[in-house]
Amino acid sequence: MAEEKINVNGTVITFFSTASAVGKTLVSCNVAAELARLGHRVCLADLDLQFGDVCNYLQLMPQQTLADAQNAIHVQGDAFHVEQYLTMYTHDQTRFYVLASPQRLDEAYNIQAAEVRKIIQHLRSMFDYVLLDTTSMFSVLNLSMLDMSTIVTFLGIVDFLPTIKNMKIGNDTLKNLNYDINKIRLVLNRSDSVTRISREDVEELLGESFDYILPNDFKAANRSIKDGVPLVLGGDQTPLGDALCDMAAQYTNRGLDDEVYDEGNNNSWFSRLFH
Amino acid sequence: MKYRVLLVEGNRLMMEQLANVINQTPDFELAAKYQSDSDALGQGGVFKPNLILLDVENRNAPEILADFRRVYPDTSIVCMGDHWQAEVASHLVREGARGYIIKPFTGEYLVKAMQQFAKTGMEVTNRTVSFFSPKGKSGKTTVIANLAMCLANKTGEQIGIIDADLQFGDMAVFFNLKPKSTIVEAVRDVDFLSPISLSGYFTEVNDRVKVLCGTANPSLSDRVEIESFIRVIHMAQSLFRYVLIDVPPGFNPTSIAAAEQSDTVYLVSMINGGFEVQHMRRALEIFEGLDRHEEIVRTIFTRVTPCDIASQKRLEQELGYPVDCIVPNEYQIVSNAADNGRMALDIEPDSQLTRSINKLAAQLTGHKQIRWDQP
Repeated sequence: MAEEKINVNGTVITFFSTASAVGKTLVSCNVAAELARLGHRVCLADLDLQFGDVCNYLQLMPQQTLADAQNAIHVQGDAFHVEQYLTMYTHDQTRFYVLASPQRLDEAYNIQAAEVRKIIQHLRSMFDYVLLDTTSMFSVLNLSMLDMSTIVTFLGIVDFLPTIKNMKIGNDTLKNLNYDINKIRLVLNRSDSVTRISREDVEELLGESFDYILPNDFKAANRSIKDGVPLVLGGDQTPLGDALCDMAAQYTNRGLDDEVYDEGNNNSWFSRLFH
Repeated sequence: MKYRVLLVEGNRLMMEQLANVINQTPDFELAAKYQSDSDALGQGGVFKPNLILLDVENRNAPEILADFRRVYPDTSIVCMGDHWQAEVASHLVREGARGYIIKPFTGEYLVKAMQQFAKTGMEVTNRTVSFFSPKGKSGKTTVIANLAMCLANKTGEQIGIIDADLQFGDMAVFFNLKPKSTIVEAVRDVDFLSPISLSGYFTEVNDRVKVLCGTANPSLSDRVEIESFIRVIHMAQSLFRYVLIDVPPGFNPTSIAAAEQSDTVYLVSMINGGFEVQHMRRALEIFEGLDRHEEIVRTIFTRVTPCDIASQKRLEQELGYPVDCIVPNEYQIVSNAADNGRMALDIEPDSQLTRSINKLAAQLTGHKQIRWDQP
């Protein structure tokens, strides 16, 4: 290479929650798709190691997974090329990459947080955005990922008391980690679903208001999962899809009129990477 | 009732210490104390004891117990050891001891132990059931809480729930409990505990149902040592006829340890329009490594709509494994109950949810088990 390039580390966004089934995977897939549609280089890593759903939601059949990447980084050290372990998702003109969770549960069980950290560091140097889908607990892995994140998107739903209690505990624990206040974004999903608890009550309990509120559209969400196409790429306009677009835009420092990346160009960044 | 205690303890100093404790404990009086078995067997009867505290540490416990049973057939015998040994204790109880306690003890401990033994005897037959879910939000806490109440009503037995979902256990919320101690303290203290003192770490729901609650905040969860956690389970097994264990989602040291200590493992998953059946199948593949897994590993699906035989058959077919129980979507009932610390079972005794739970309870109690007959 002729000229030295400055290393630029991309933005790392973790989608985290302390209550399960709040829509982390759906939201992270859609934000990934929307950021990619806007022309950014995006990789979504599925860190729900045992029962990850990213590839299910996007109907991908990964040949290589995080487990292979871990083995490789262990053996190869600096010669490690993370791009070999990614699976590409394309829909129309949009493409982004997925680091799949391990195929087998025993592989999942043997993933080490320190190794994942290194792998994410590699991804960060190649992509504008590295999105991390996680599990709902403060595991060693998740804590390490929260630490290295630019933004932590903490998702919740207003469901019933145990869920709210766990959200409260999670939010308090995040506060105890002393992250900058701007680092954590509180997102309420399925906001208008039928529950017995109001959003205002939850905000009062949490001591802060939600940064972003997503509408409840179980049907549209389910359809997109069945079709394997994120709502933001689906073509049909839905309130949830629109809200997800808006939300993704808030992760960029530019407006929505950003120039759309020209996919027709064969000298795309990825073809350069893979030469 | 006043206990007239015949104390048999080989160590002179220990004997004097225990004798003092007995004499200072309300409703207990020392009838006689002996260092030698032969003296106790030949002479103790003169003082008409109704309770024998018998040291069995480092001795041929079954033989000594048999001798005392022969000479004192109508007197309760409680064996004493230096520390808790689950196998020895359950063996001695099977051989006719009333219970097993740790010495030296306090008066308070002695009173509690005798209350416990009077209520239930010491359990020697126990069923331990753990509830595993591949991912979170499985509905298992609802199932466990309602099942515990149902089992208690049906059998009149003692039911213990261990909430080992270490970061986000919800059992205390479901029962509206304010626990004074949790699984963290129980596991921390287990080396110094016996079943009797462990029972104090459980929070009472009612006469028959007790809960060892989960951690109060997630950062405490790394303080739970697996070896000690297993010892807590073993002790609970001699306190309760049924031990129900709620574990964190997925495969982790806690959920694996609990499954290994259980005679039944229920895999629980909530139907949510996603990939629940696939996840369940993958989890089952891991459990296939267990001996007799068809017997041990069972499955439950929650929020099944419609909740009927056809759905159950369809799920079985998709899963390629028997589905033991399906639970309907009763969000309103369950959330109303959970928000108020009550059980769906009580609020809606005729609901489909209640019928599902009853069926599950019947499966658990239907097993033929030989029970130790209380004296």
